[in-house]
Amino acid sequence: MEKTRGGMWALMCFLLLNWLSNVSSLSVTVTDVECVYEYVLYQGDTISGNFVVVDHDIFWSSDHPGIDFIVTSPGGNTVHSLKGTSGDKFEFQAPRSGMYKFCFHNAYSTPETVAFHIHIGHIPSEHDLAKDEHLNPINVKIAKLREALESVTAEQKYLKARDTRHRHTNESTRKRVIGYTVGEYLMLVAASLLQVFYIRRLFSKSVAYNRV
Amino acid sequence: MILRSVFALVLLVGILSPASESLRFELQSGQTKCIAEDIKSNSMTVGKYHVVKPNEDHPLPDSHKLTVKVTSSHGNSFHSAEKVESGQFAFTAAEQGDYIACFWAVEHTPQITVTVDFDWRTGFHTKDWTNVAKKGQVHSMELELKNLFDTVQSIHEEMLYLREREEEMQELNKATTSKMFWLSFLSLFLCLSVAGIQFWHLKSFFEKKKLI
Repeated sequence: MEKTRGGMWALMCFLLLNWLSNVSSLSVTVTDVECVYEYVLYQGDTISGNFVVVDHDIFWSSDHPGIDFIVTSPGGNTVHSLKGTSGDKFEFQAPRSGMYKFCFHNAYSTPETVAFHIHIGHIPSEHDLAKDEHLNPINVKIAKLREALESVTAEQKYLKARDTRHRHTNESTRKRVIGYTVGEYLMLVAASLLQVFYIRRLFSKSVAYNRV
Repeated sequence: MILRSVFALVLLVGILSPASESLRFELQSGQTKCIAEDIKSNSMTVGKYHVVKPNEDHPLPDSHKLTVKVTSSHGNSFHSAEKVESGQFAFTAAEQGDYIACFWAVEHTPQITVTVDFDWRTGFHTKDWTNVAKKGQVHSMELELKNLFDTVQSIHEEMLYLREREEEMQELNKATTSKMFWLSFLSLFLCLSVAGIQFWHLKSFFEKKKLI
């Protein structure tokens, strides 16, 4: 998304060169394909991020095999892809500027919730310093600091999403284990009642006494 | 909220404040997409949305307009707009929870795709929009450094929050383990008692039948 601010062009360029580029963090329920678009302002920007599949409640079936994550450049080429994972981090340089497409593909029919975070970071290089006289070498350092802090934030978001996933797994396990245990008890009691009933029937008067 | 389309996709933002997201997504006619964000209590939140014009010169036709509703998880509505092209909302979250912003495109016979650009910021990021440095370099640098400082503070808060959640999960696991421990004793007791009752019942039955 281009941040357009009214005002002086020079200041705007200065801001554009220094300001933090796009950050988006959210989670999506992927039934088939779910795509998000992000605009990359400069070639060579670092696109980094992570995603975690936060499982839905599974009661009987085994774990979902995972989802595919594909990043498409504005030219239509696949820049980055991760197949069949339940969560991963990624980082790569944007080969060109433009609108990039980040897609999640779900091969199976069960919907899965994916929590993801995408960050596009730009650090002004020496070339930009030479071009624009408003830029100060200190701005480069500030940009680097900001990127470093951003990576910490991204890591936190990843940890939080994984924590949510673990929480879901734990709660589902707890429910399942308690459910199965209580079910087991009921089956035991039912089996013993059936046994008693059957033995009583074997010895009942209606059946011939000598048969047993 | 009435989710009209089969492809109703729920977008959940699993990240607490500070969080900022600027993203672009596509809506088919008649489809609904919802974005929810988990917001901490007493934090400011600001959101801006607009439809990306397919044709820059002409005004947006009616078929491309949106209906927007922002509600809390308890059902209180904070913002609603019918058939608009763009808009914004701001409110202070009274309590922590999921706040949902839902968009739907009006039903139209040839299915058209509406591209929506949505920017939702919570926590300290809301300050970004109101403060645009207008005076010289030093002020904007100061602003950036302030921004960095706020980021660090939010990282600290997030770490504390993550630690709390981890502790909660540990408590949950401990509770599950102790429950399983007691349940195993119960199962032993149940097994023995069922066997004992069976034995006692059959013995009295056979004695009644004069077989023993």
